[in-house]
Amino acid sequence: MKSLYAFIGCLLLTGIAAAQEKDLTDSVRTVLLQEVTVAAQQRGQQQHLYRYFTANKAATTEDIMARIPELSLVRRGSYGMEPIIRSFNSNQVALLLDGMRIHGACTDKMDPTSIYIEPVNLNSMEVRTNGSSLLVGSSVGGSINMKLAEASCHDEGRFSGSASTGYHSASRAFFSSANFNYATSRFGLRATGTYRNSGAYRDGSGQRVPFSQYEKVNYTLHGKLKLNDGAYLRVDLLADDGWNIGYPALPMDVGYANARIGSVTFVQESGWRGWERAEAKLYANRVKHYMDDTKRPAVPMHMDMPGVSRTSGMYAEAVRSLGVGQKLQLRADASATMLKASMTMYQPGQPDMYMLTWPDNRQVQGGVAAQYQLRIDSATQVQVSGRVDVTDYALTSQGGKDQLAVFGYSGEQMGFVIPALSVQVSRKLFPSLKASFSLGMNGRAPSAGELFGFYLFNQFDGHDYIGNTKLRKEIGQQAELTLSWQQQKWKVQASGYISKVRHYIFGKINPGLSVMTPGARGVKTYENTAQALLAGGEGSVVYQPFSGTQLVSTLKYAHAQDNTGNPLPLIAPLRNISTLRQHFNALWLQAEMELAAAQRRVSVAANERSTGAFSLVHLRAGYQLQQGRVLWQLNAGVENILDAYYREHLDWGNIARPGRNVYMQVSVGF
Amino acid sequence: MNRYFSLITAAVITLLFIGCAKDNMEPNKDTNDALKIAEGYAIGAGVQVQLYAAAPLTTGYNFVSIALTDSVSGQSIEEAAITLMPMMDMGTMKHSAPVENPASKASNKRFNGALVFTMPSGSMGSWAVEVTVTVNGRQGKATLPVAITEPRQNKLKSFVSKVDNKKYWLALVQPTAPKVGVNDLELAIYEAKGMMAFPADSSLAVAVTPEMPTMGHGSPNNIDPVHTGKGHYKGKVNFTMTGLWYLNLNFKKGDAVADNATFFEVNF
Repeated sequence: MKSLYAFIGCLLLTGIAAAQEKDLTDSVRTVLLQEVTVAAQQRGQQQHLYRYFTANKAATTEDIMARIPELSLVRRGSYGMEPIIRSFNSNQVALLLDGMRIHGACTDKMDPTSIYIEPVNLNSMEVRTNGSSLLVGSSVGGSINMKLAEASCHDEGRFSGSASTGYHSASRAFFSSANFNYATSRFGLRATGTYRNSGAYRDGSGQRVPFSQYEKVNYTLHGKLKLNDGAYLRVDLLADDGWNIGYPALPMDVGYANARIGSVTFVQESGWRGWERAEAKLYANRVKHYMDDTKRPAVPMHMDMPGVSRTSGMYAEAVRSLGVGQKLQLRADASATMLKASMTMYQPGQPDMYMLTWPDNRQVQGGVAAQYQLRIDSATQVQVSGRVDVTDYALTSQGGKDQLAVFGYSGEQMGFVIPALSVQVSRKLFPSLKASFSLGMNGRAPSAGELFGFYLFNQFDGHDYIGNTKLRKEIGQQAELTLSWQQQKWKVQASGYISKVRHYIFGKINPGLSVMTPGARGVKTYENTAQALLAGGEGSVVYQPFSGTQLVSTLKYAHAQDNTGNPLPLIAPLRNISTLRQHFNALWLQAEMELAAAQRRVSVAANERSTGAFSLVHLRAGYQLQQGRVLWQLNAGVENILDAYYREHLDWGNIARPGRNVYMQVSVGF
Repeated sequence: MNRYFSLITAAVITLLFIGCAKDNMEPNKDTNDALKIAEGYAIGAGVQVQLYAAAPLTTGYNFVSIALTDSVSGQSIEEAAITLMPMMDMGTMKHSAPVENPASKASNKRFNGALVFTMPSGSMGSWAVEVTVTVNGRQGKATLPVAITEPRQNKLKSFVSKVDNKKYWLALVQPTAPKVGVNDLELAIYEAKGMMAFPADSSLAVAVTPEMPTMGHGSPNNIDPVHTGKGHYKGKVNFTMTGLWYLNLNFKKGDAVADNATFFEVNF
């Protein structure tokens, strides 16, 4: 009830704040799923989907990601869902924020970098599948780069901004955000703030799901200074504080999670000595995360698990044309990350039990990459990308070294050299049909958790996990084919991929070890298994029978198995999202249907449970009202109208998703 | 803004200081001479006897060192035969305790040995250490009264073998400064043959199983102690976190279990 009042109060406030001019459409958004610069047609499809789904101003970053067919979300609670590409796990996907590396400070991956991006800060999202992702980093599964909205300059000095506020009934959640921009011809300033307060949500059976609440604030400050023609300097600062965050699928919640992210970027946008564009960034960030179980009932022994990560780094990239139809892009990046996480258990009358769950360690990474594009003729384009990446790990405290000596660590080097290469050929087969084929080889260094993790309890399979300092790198080989067909009213795209990951890192039961966590089923140690095979495909159809009417439907399927043919865990089932949107001048209405097949191919090794099929129906509407310089936008809808009781296969625990949810959001921009 | 500046400054400073490991603050285990425990004269040998230890003497295994000085010349003596004999005087009876006698050559002017006191001194009785010294054919005995306290954590246990009814004293020598990680485990085992004789034992097979009693878990990759000489059994014990640990011990003679109920507490 309190949040409802706050919601109404904010509505009033937004009304008062609405004073002046301009629309509030955020800057241009793009999604690059297969980076095909010349093949605008193919890229158009993904961009279309992204724009289509972001038209719902009430959508969160996670709502949008959940609708992009190449992405899936691993869910442990209503907050901090972990985006993955296809069926690769989060260690195999590079998740970047504006090109910056940020390492979560939580040993249980409750703080993916995507939580620091609110829709008000999000400029665009670049999702690159294996072949083209190597430009930004070594990964076997691809990369997701969330670009921050930036300050802008404008010839006539002006002040603009927007504010929005919304309410969700299922979780009695109240969201509010605002941004203000001040622009002159020389410099621009942008400030944003977001506040979210969500209660425990109600599932489809009418039950409140305990420990699904959260509260957070996010604020950013962006500055931009024009240096001379085409060159400018950007300073971006972001702070995010979350607290009282429940994780119903885990035995612990989060007391606080905070991030401080800062960067300075130099951009040269117009030609400079033959280079078309150059960008260099210096950045530093710090993440603190604190798991605690003080609010959980019947905890046999109270414990807390704080973690901290510090990363600083840089990258520089530049593009130049090498003559007609040829383009070269170069990139160099380097970063250093320091991690530490510990666990303290309290037993009254006894000394505290303390151990390092991530023994103090640092990771230094550096890489150089190049991408060459050649347009052979008007129908054919070739793109070759290469990268060499070096990663070095070290333990930085004697205590950490001592602790890992228990498992045989004796000061060995943990350095990884990862070469990567990808070739992509795109060809227009017919005027309306285009094909693109890519072959790539990439790799990744083991994560700090996989190398150094010390009795990290994984609620998903009920095992304590032990790192392995003798792990080798994973090597991925991938082939991908994309066909896109476009006519006046139809846009159809289908992609198929097959990926072989050698030395696939997987937790193997270690019968020689006994559990540390009370109630755990056993202990697993990360091992390089011979290989895993991941394959699947995505398709999307955009149909515009009349102007103002749009039908969008996406489909995805994935199959993944280890070297013995057993399924890998957390593989999303066959899934389809279909939406029909109708515009009536300032109003649009949208019906949306989500269908997911059952997933019965489950990993026995991970004690994975199968998930039933479900279908969901959502209705959404948007309305715009221009009053002089003020643009009002109203978004409202009902999600899960039929109040289905369901969980998705990538959801941890046997925790149902929210039931029927009525939401409303009002935005005003000037 | 300040928060950011401090953040960036902190990041830079942290980077600068990567690799600056802390100084090793562990005490030097070889220093058996930090503290003078007692001194006296071995009349007959013409020698002043000083008894040193790293810390006040307690029940259990104590590294000690002896310094000998010629009482005439004041010169340190580097070569001597020394026999240690702790003696508990309980009024109605007397008994001794296990010892390790020093070698005949001094190292750094000290003769290193060990005393394994089997009970604290107090109302029950008092301890003295009889030091018999033979230097250049002259023998004398110094009797040094010592006070023995009970350590914070028990370092001495005994059991009676189920195989042959022999009584054994069991002293925990290492770890003295337990840490999370791999620790040296060293036990000294003596057979109690009457009140005055405690020969070092080498006949047992020892297995160690650490356990965290409050959580019910153990630790992996421990190495069972094996006899290395003078009744000392050496192995490794691993602690995966701080807190209260039990070192559960199992003793076998041949294939038969001599004892499986003894454990030491390690609390850190």
